[in-house]
Amino acid sequence: MAERALGPARPRRAGVDAALSYAVSVAVAFAAVGVFLAAMGFDVPRAYGTILFTSFRTANGFAQTLLKFVPLLLLTLAFVVPLAAWKFNIGGEGQLIAGAIGAGAAGIVLPGLPAIALIPLGMLAGIAGGALWAALPAWLLYRFGINEILTTVLMNFVSFGALDYVTTEVWPDPAAGHPTSVPIAVGARLPLLLASPPLHAGLVVALAVAAATHVYVNRTTGGYELRAVGANPRAALLHGIAVRRLSLLALVLGGALAGLAGALEVAGVHHRLIEGVQSNYLLLSILIGLIAKGNLIAVPPVAFAIAVLDVGARAMQRTMQIPVEVVFVVEGLILIFVLLSDVVRRR
Amino acid sequence: MLTLVPYVLASQGTMLAGRAGIFNVSQEGIMLAGASVGFLGAYLSGGNLLQGLVLATVTGALFGLALAYFTTTLKMDQFVVGLALFFIGLAISTLLYRLAVGVTLTPPLIPTLREIALPGLSHIPVVGEIVFRQNVLVYGAIVLSLILYLFLYTSGPGLALRAVGEHPMAADSLGVNVPVVRYVATVVGGMLIGLAGAYLPMVYTATFTDGIVRGRGWLSIALTFFGGWSPHLIFFGALFFAAVEVLAFRVQVTGIGVPYQVILMLPYLATMAVMMPTFRRLQIPAFLGKNYDRERRMLL
Repeated sequence: MAERALGPARPRRAGVDAALSYAVSVAVAFAAVGVFLAAMGFDVPRAYGTILFTSFRTANGFAQTLLKFVPLLLLTLAFVVPLAAWKFNIGGEGQLIAGAIGAGAAGIVLPGLPAIALIPLGMLAGIAGGALWAALPAWLLYRFGINEILTTVLMNFVSFGALDYVTTEVWPDPAAGHPTSVPIAVGARLPLLLASPPLHAGLVVALAVAAATHVYVNRTTGGYELRAVGANPRAALLHGIAVRRLSLLALVLGGALAGLAGALEVAGVHHRLIEGVQSNYLLLSILIGLIAKGNLIAVPPVAFAIAVLDVGARAMQRTMQIPVEVVFVVEGLILIFVLLSDVVRRR
Repeated sequence: MLTLVPYVLASQGTMLAGRAGIFNVSQEGIMLAGASVGFLGAYLSGGNLLQGLVLATVTGALFGLALAYFTTTLKMDQFVVGLALFFIGLAISTLLYRLAVGVTLTPPLIPTLREIALPGLSHIPVVGEIVFRQNVLVYGAIVLSLILYLFLYTSGPGLALRAVGEHPMAADSLGVNVPVVRYVATVVGGMLIGLAGAYLPMVYTATFTDGIVRGRGWLSIALTFFGGWSPHLIFFGALFFAAVEVLAFRVQVTGIGVPYQVILMLPYLATMAVMMPTFRRLQIPAFLGKNYDRERRMLL
């Protein structure tokens, strides 16, 4: 069996060891980019101070970070759950948009319903939208054996067209300068945990879903089968596990998680459909999933850390004119070093 | 004909590495980096396109080298490394552009590649105008496909390369240096993909934007599968991809009562549709995506 650099079936290592390799990776990545920035003539200590502490200086910054954390966490789960079966879901973006459209449609078409019915309905519509969007690639894999990396990515581009269509043709808001739909009904909006700075209840939902996902993948029979498929599909097949059906299930489940992320964005943050709702969450979520090496316990803290960096990077761009992409390079290097540390330890 | 080139270059690059057993999934990132570096190379030298093309090729080679090193030498998973490189390509493409150009109101422009009419041939009615009055990379893509075909199927090194992708153990036992073959194939493949990226600003837009590649990197993977990982079929497959893109563009301009968003989806949907009946029957190198460790007896 070909050795896999990451995967849920790996033996448990001492947590200290893993934490150390993460710390070294982060430090080296920051140091390398710091040298580069210093050579470009930027004030590195101030830049890094902004990146690391913006989230914790003000309540607003912290709320901002948590608002990013919610979609990042869910989208990472959408990547990591299929990864347990060693299927690569690179279509989280499209599934998020499909979920957003589903939730938006519910909130726009059914304004009369009370909040107690409309909010869950919106969430369900979002989950269904995301699952449906993933179902096509999953079915293509199941029926024709078409590589899922390819089809999930292609569905992203299809979703951009769909979002553009609903925001400019179906429910357009003519007052907005940017393709945007009319707002969803007040009853479809998520309650706030905190009024000012605004923080919606989706945070609780996301954390609960993350916990449930962990239990499903690591503590149930179904999850065990999923991981068995990921670790060694041939052995799994020989033991009577329906490998292809589980792969299909894993991808659809991933789509549902991404769809929920989209629904929360619409019902909690934007209160309308808006082009660009997907932000750069897909890329960051793949990064988080790979840095966490598919480990569901590690995903929430890593997602939070990336949210901190993202909020900090935007602040740095505003105040110091250092491009936000600097932080992407740092993150990419962290990923490379984390993966490398595995190679080093294997020797 | 114009839209053919990025698909041909990127897919041939993918094919070359894939035939040696390295499944590159970072095309989108490499093309973006190639587009950015190629554009900047030309822009900062006052419109010297050649310099841009060379720099983009070097960038692609570096990505290929990184992919080969992490997978062949360090034996890391090819998909994981590919996705990491995709991310890095995306990050540095925008970063370099921002650092070099900054935020401007009017986009900085470079000249686009000039068309070269082949003497004599371009005067043939209809066909001559279409086929023989093109920019240099169109000719390059055609010649490249031909060379790759001859190389893979009629030369000794080409045979060795295919053997490495089909059965590295057998190739190894016949004295083929598997890691070297994989390195060379992946680096040359990366060069072609980088070049494909540089083509976009030099022919289409004359400037660099974040969304310039727009899925062409991913589509080129699809095309490589569709072309059964063989250079001649990839070339003809690229004709289909280019035709769909041109069709989508035409319909968008003229309008036929279909929302234009549907037209924008067309290339992606068409790709998935054509893969449905064909995917199972396609030839795929047996060791695609699998690393080879000569100290390990058991394979698979």
